[in-house]
Amino acid sequence: MSVSRHWSRRTVVAATLALTTAAALVAFGAASSSATTKASSARPANKIVVLAYGDAQNKAEQWAVDTYNKTPQGKKVKAVLQTIPGANYQTKLQTIIGSSNAPDVFFNWGGGSIVQFQKAGLLLPLNGFMKADPKLKSSFLPSILSAAKIGSNYYGIPMRGTQPVMLFYNKTLLAAHHLTPPTTWAQLLSDVAALKNAGVQVPIALGGADQWPTLMWFEYAYDRVAGPSLVTDALNGKSSVWKTPDSTKALGYLKQLIDAGAFGPSKSWDSVYFTKNQTAQMLIGGQAAFELMGSWYYSTVQSQSASFAAKELGYSAFPSIPGGKGNLNDLAGNTENYYSVLKNTRYPQAVAAFLKVMYSPAFVKQELALGNLTTTTNTPKLISGPTAPYLRYQFNLIKKAQAFQLSWDQAWPQTNSNAIHTAVADYFDNPDSNAFASAMAALKPAG
Amino acid sequence: MTSSAQPGRRPNYAAGVLTAGWLVIVLAPIYVLVKASLQTQTDYNSSGPLSIPDHVTPSNFGTVIHSGFLRYFVNTAIITAAVVAIVVVLVPPVAFAIVRNRGRTVTLVFRIFLLGLTVPVQAVIVPLYFVITKVGLYDTLIAVILPTAAFSLPLSTIIMTGSMRDITGDLYEAMALEGATSWHIFRHLVLPLARGGMATIIIFSALNAWNGFLLPLILSQSAHVRVFTLGLYDFQTVSSINAPAICAAVVLSIVPILVVYLFARRALIRGLMGVGGK
Amino acid sequence: MTALAVRGGRKKSSGGLQIGRPSFLWSLPALLYFVVCALVPLGVVIWLSFTSWNALGSPAWVGTDNWTSLFHDATLIHSFKVTAILTGLGILTQTPVSLLLGVWAAGHERNRAILSALYFIPLLMSATAISIVWLSLLNPYYGLPRELHWLFDNSLLGHGYLFSYTGTAIGVLTFVGMWQWTPFHTLIYQGGARAIPEVLYQAAAIDGAGRVRQFFSITLPQLRNTIITSVVLILVGSFTTFDSILILTAGRPGVSTTSTSYYMYVNGFEKFQFGNASVIGVLLVVVTTLISLIVVRVSGWDKMRSTQEGV
Repeated sequence: MSVSRHWSRRTVVAATLALTTAAALVAFGAASSSATTKASSARPANKIVVLAYGDAQNKAEQWAVDTYNKTPQGKKVKAVLQTIPGANYQTKLQTIIGSSNAPDVFFNWGGGSIVQFQKAGLLLPLNGFMKADPKLKSSFLPSILSAAKIGSNYYGIPMRGTQPVMLFYNKTLLAAHHLTPPTTWAQLLSDVAALKNAGVQVPIALGGADQWPTLMWFEYAYDRVAGPSLVTDALNGKSSVWKTPDSTKALGYLKQLIDAGAFGPSKSWDSVYFTKNQTAQMLIGGQAAFELMGSWYYSTVQSQSASFAAKELGYSAFPSIPGGKGNLNDLAGNTENYYSVLKNTRYPQAVAAFLKVMYSPAFVKQELALGNLTTTTNTPKLISGPTAPYLRYQFNLIKKAQAFQLSWDQAWPQTNSNAIHTAVADYFDNPDSNAFASAMAALKPAG
Repeated sequence: MTSSAQPGRRPNYAAGVLTAGWLVIVLAPIYVLVKASLQTQTDYNSSGPLSIPDHVTPSNFGTVIHSGFLRYFVNTAIITAAVVAIVVVLVPPVAFAIVRNRGRTVTLVFRIFLLGLTVPVQAVIVPLYFVITKVGLYDTLIAVILPTAAFSLPLSTIIMTGSMRDITGDLYEAMALEGATSWHIFRHLVLPLARGGMATIIIFSALNAWNGFLLPLILSQSAHVRVFTLGLYDFQTVSSINAPAICAAVVLSIVPILVVYLFARRALIRGLMGVGGK
Repeated sequence: MTALAVRGGRKKSSGGLQIGRPSFLWSLPALLYFVVCALVPLGVVIWLSFTSWNALGSPAWVGTDNWTSLFHDATLIHSFKVTAILTGLGILTQTPVSLLLGVWAAGHERNRAILSALYFIPLLMSATAISIVWLSLLNPYYGLPRELHWLFDNSLLGHGYLFSYTGTAIGVLTFVGMWQWTPFHTLIYQGGARAIPEVLYQAAAIDGAGRVRQFFSITLPQLRNTIITSVVLILVGSFTTFDSILILTAGRPGVSTTSTSYYMYVNGFEKFQFGNASVIGVLLVVVTTLISLIVVRVSGWDKMRSTQEGV
């Protein structure tokens, strides 16, 4: 009798375990299939979530959210701004966008950064909004809108400003050593040498720990040497471009700069961040003279020292490289940042009303005050105030530019950005042009 | 028991050097932590971490609290309380069964928990993220509570069985002679006598939940469910230049545990001993 | 009395001893909870390792593709080396210091109690907090390397750029690990040292053995079990070190501090190749289970578990 009790007990335990496991798997399987096809009614009530890249420019984004909340539509369906610290933005976005807590409206860079979301059916085409409110389309520069267009559908509304990458410098420090911002590569090298002789250990600040600031040097070097067509071809799948003589030449110029100690002792930049305001502090404090960074650098520096930003922060275009195919006026950077809309959003009307704020003159003025050159058609008329010189300078740069290279880690689909960052960081630490070429050739273009 | 209390022995210089040296290494960061939290950013940046401050200011604590750390504190407390509740409800009964029921099935249960001890929570963060997202629980406190409690179970069970094993057989037999049911024995004999083990598992699982970082990192995102450790991490991601503010945040995170340390030192130590490298 | 002395027998049919024994149903709630929340994910990770998933949409079955491609992954193989190096350095740095401190702290002089309480403070801080504090302290421009430049301005310490070079980055991780865990292991050794009978020392003193001799002939052998416990804990714990790597070095420079568990995180939550990450997850489980089983078998550790380690 005890034997049969043993057996029945063990059987019961085994059966219970098996049943529980099976039940758990079935339950989660059912829940998962219903979660993915869940109606938007599962999303939070009377609220839309706006997700933005966390940095010094959130002031304007918060202002937009507050302004919308004061409208009649905003009183019914509130908008809430959430931010993710910049260094983690893209990875966090990807983990959250497939969940039921995905934001209704989220910040992105257009281009490759939204391709995979669109492919997964997560984005709402905005053509409907544009039809209902024609100004949503006509208020923005067409070339900017098309950078967030996939096929015949628009997927993004510009929300910050166009962000060319410029060479920023400490005016006081340069003046003290009788230097001027370089217009040629040779002048850049001689400026660096002069600064090093004067005891400035890190002539050019570089946030190597973030890795993407390093990328900007490659974008310009390649453009100046090979012209914009090299990267365009690479994006279209022609991976052999990375092994051409032009590519090797561009890498050689970078090596020259690295070897000259322009960025500090070898590998020292790997301990320095841009995202934690470190490099901005270095420029403000005079430990570095130059930094190559996007136009948002103005607001970053402003957040650390408003007086420095207003009086001592200088900016110029990237120098030319001798014998290069690229035009001195070519730019690299981010065409714009966009708000895209989640397909499953519960309150599309509220979202449409929120997006209207993006082209209102008052919002444009908020962005201009941060030094962001907005891409609305009314921007040139609205430029005024202390940031006006900076904005007009950018505006002229954009006007003259025949090519504007989108940052590589945004141009290629998201899944490549880790590989791109690693390739550029590795090259700076250990300039091996073959390794770099192979790494870039292995990237997977869109499609 | 060492023997160096004997009279007439030479002082142990080697020990003196080692312990003094280690004391400096332990205390220096603590000193910097407390001091920097009371300095302004410009003072800290210009004078360096170790220097004696000229001015002190409590403004960093204000900055930290206004950055939402009170909310993070509340979230951490809720998660900790829930995890402790789950552990306290689930572990004593199974420990009781393991200690008093020597059947093969319960031994199998014990072996399953022992096996669970060797599984690092790292290894299952991917499936946890997958399952939690698919059932729609991503970015909730529940998502963090459930796995945290689950991974506290193996060691808590071992601690509790150890504690219950110390209850001698005669006590059980005495109650069994009176015809007591297992529930009666559990409530009136085992639980009161296993108080030490109970305190240990409470402290151990509470500490585990309070300091948890990986699971909240993977399973939550928004500020309204953020826990303190994540808040610290996000805070320093944004501006590590503001070391004073970061130090203020860290000081705030230690205060509750410091309070427990002052009032329940032995229990805390026993609970920490149970942490076992996790 | 003798009839009642039969305890814990496997036969359940002897009358009075059955009263009051808990049935296995008492273990069911905990077991079910553990199975669902901890063991089912184990099954899921095995399944996921045969799929491809990037957090959007649903996992797609790819068979053994992930396994074969990771077999050739140089970074994964390198990560095993990194994990081994960090583990070895952890044992080498933490054991001597904790042992010596623990033996010293076992003495009963009052100053020892006060100092022990101070040494305990790092245990009160979360791993996250500790890593963040040290990251701040070791900043090349605003932290100790600048303030103590006389100490840091040499090639051994990378001229203060501690996070830029492989050697110094691993050194930072080892040092922070030591700072974090030595208090814990000191407690273990303190407990072990307190349990050594005074008689042994007295006998040795009578024989004329000096302090050093006593240490090597009595203290160390008596602490054998404690040393094994402590080393096992460091060994198993080092496989799961994650917070400090994420915060201090993010696996860099290059991949020189990318341990296996960190590489799993990168594959999953930065590259969004969850299939690959799951493969590494399965590997982690297998390796840690094997190590635990081997160590337990070799040292008979589970027999030590039933004795209470008190303070």
